[in-house]
Amino acid sequence: MAVQTTTKEQFISFASDGAEDVSEKQVRVQIDDSVTSPVVLYFATGIGWLLFGSLAGLAAAIKFNLPDWLGGTPFLTFGRIRPVHLNTVMYGWASLAGAGMVVWLTGRLCRVAIQKTWALYVSAILWNIGVLFGVVSLLFGYNQGMEWLEFPRPAGGLIALGFLFFAYSIVSTFRKRQVEHLYVSLWYILASMLWFPILYTVANLGIYDGVTEAAMNWWFAHNALAVWFTPVGLAGAYYFIPKVIGRPIYSYYLGLLGFWAFALFYNWNGIHHLVGGPLPTWLVTVSIVASVMMFVPVMAVAVNHHLTTIGHFRMLKYSPTLRFVVFGSMSYTAVSLQGSIESLRSFSEVAHFTHYTIGHAHLGVYGFLSMILFGAVYYIMPRIAKWEWPYPKLIKLHFWMSATGIALYVVAMCIGGWIQGTMMNDPSLPFIASVNATKPYLWARSVGGTMMLIGHLVFAYQFVLIIYRSGPARYVPAWFEVRPTEVLTGETKTI
Amino acid sequence: MSLPVAVVIIIAFVVVAGALTLAGFVWAVQSKQFSIKQLNEGAKQIFDDEEPIGMPQDMIFKKPSNGSSNHH
Repeated sequence: MAVQTTTKEQFISFASDGAEDVSEKQVRVQIDDSVTSPVVLYFATGIGWLLFGSLAGLAAAIKFNLPDWLGGTPFLTFGRIRPVHLNTVMYGWASLAGAGMVVWLTGRLCRVAIQKTWALYVSAILWNIGVLFGVVSLLFGYNQGMEWLEFPRPAGGLIALGFLFFAYSIVSTFRKRQVEHLYVSLWYILASMLWFPILYTVANLGIYDGVTEAAMNWWFAHNALAVWFTPVGLAGAYYFIPKVIGRPIYSYYLGLLGFWAFALFYNWNGIHHLVGGPLPTWLVTVSIVASVMMFVPVMAVAVNHHLTTIGHFRMLKYSPTLRFVVFGSMSYTAVSLQGSIESLRSFSEVAHFTHYTIGHAHLGVYGFLSMILFGAVYYIMPRIAKWEWPYPKLIKLHFWMSATGIALYVVAMCIGGWIQGTMMNDPSLPFIASVNATKPYLWARSVGGTMMLIGHLVFAYQFVLIIYRSGPARYVPAWFEVRPTEVLTGETKTI
Repeated sequence: MSLPVAVVIIIAFVVVAGALTLAGFVWAVQSKQFSIKQLNEGAKQIFDDEEPIGMPQDMIFKKPSNGSSNHH
């Protein structure tokens, strides 16, 4: 296939085809130009950690099928590989790719070029050094022993410092905004700029022990989702779903109500991880109540996103961004409702300490957040690279590998985990029976993980191509299928 | 005794975070972020003349003037 190149001038010419007033476009191009390098840096390093973290995750999964595999090499044992997987996908992939998306969204939503871009470079460098330092430490066996806080404190300090530089640029841009009203995505972004540094700093102070340490551990781990990962995902969904469809969000009132209900209830949730633990009963009960109250913001988001999409489902056939983001949004509804129910004591009696929790966590971090981030990267990169994705079929392959992989993973873990929990609660059965019963589900987990890894490799390959503006040039959007002409020209508003 | 110190520090940070969040809410009310006008128009803010409501947006290249939609 012949490869053609497109200059930035040609891109602008195509983009402005038919428009008399180009000021809006010029503003957008200026904003995109102001973020190109830092966003690519965030995305590229994030994707690098995604590949590394996926490999580590798959290795950990296979160890459940073949317990002796790689068991003779200390740094490849389960106790080290598993936290490496968790920390690289959370603080490497999800955080860095999320930061890239937030930078781009902030420019668009504030309608101003990103300020203090130097701080973004410093942030990305510090963040990556922190993750690298943390991963090497984990591989050598240095671990703080708290889930989600396994990195040694200096690594956490570097990440926290990187976040502060990142927040400095975002807040500086916000202060220069050219808009009067803050779009709902900006609320989520600004809230995370405020809450996450406080959370991460408090958690890394290292002044806790015993029961307090356990409480702090889960207060942090759940709130990391509440004040950083979930706001990032929702900010993306609130922008990309209406934007791609070309239809304002169904109920803007509900959107803001959802945000403030989210701010009120989510931060109380963490202690439900310690149901049955040696904490004051009232503390756990308060957390359970708050977890159930999460129905309010979750339903606000669900109603908004799904009723915005309704009547436009045919667009999922064409748009890669929409397909990934809608999948992510539906997963958000599912995982949030599942989480509220999972917090109940009666449910925890079975599901706690089983593979069910692992399935739930992956539905949230992968089915929800990662899928939205994939969709965001597919939307943002052509705009800042001035080059379309060269191979839509590879995007389709990525989608199906990721979607099918995570679906298989979550279903297998939830069913297997429930069986495991039921058997562990039966005193007439030996513990090993509950282990043997999960074997088929653990194989399904490894197959699902392999499929996701294949999707990530395809994604990374196309990302490298688009950075170098390589592959076949494209003068129409990289949709899964060519849309009918009337859709291209805007004559059909709903398809 | 680490417990009281930990509790005091956590409470202090939570109070600060809560106060800042409350301050954000007060600012939002005072700057009329929740006014009927802004709420009615807010959802349209991500659209403009170049990327209008009613037009699918996930494209960087509009339809070429010769009507061709071939991939090159």
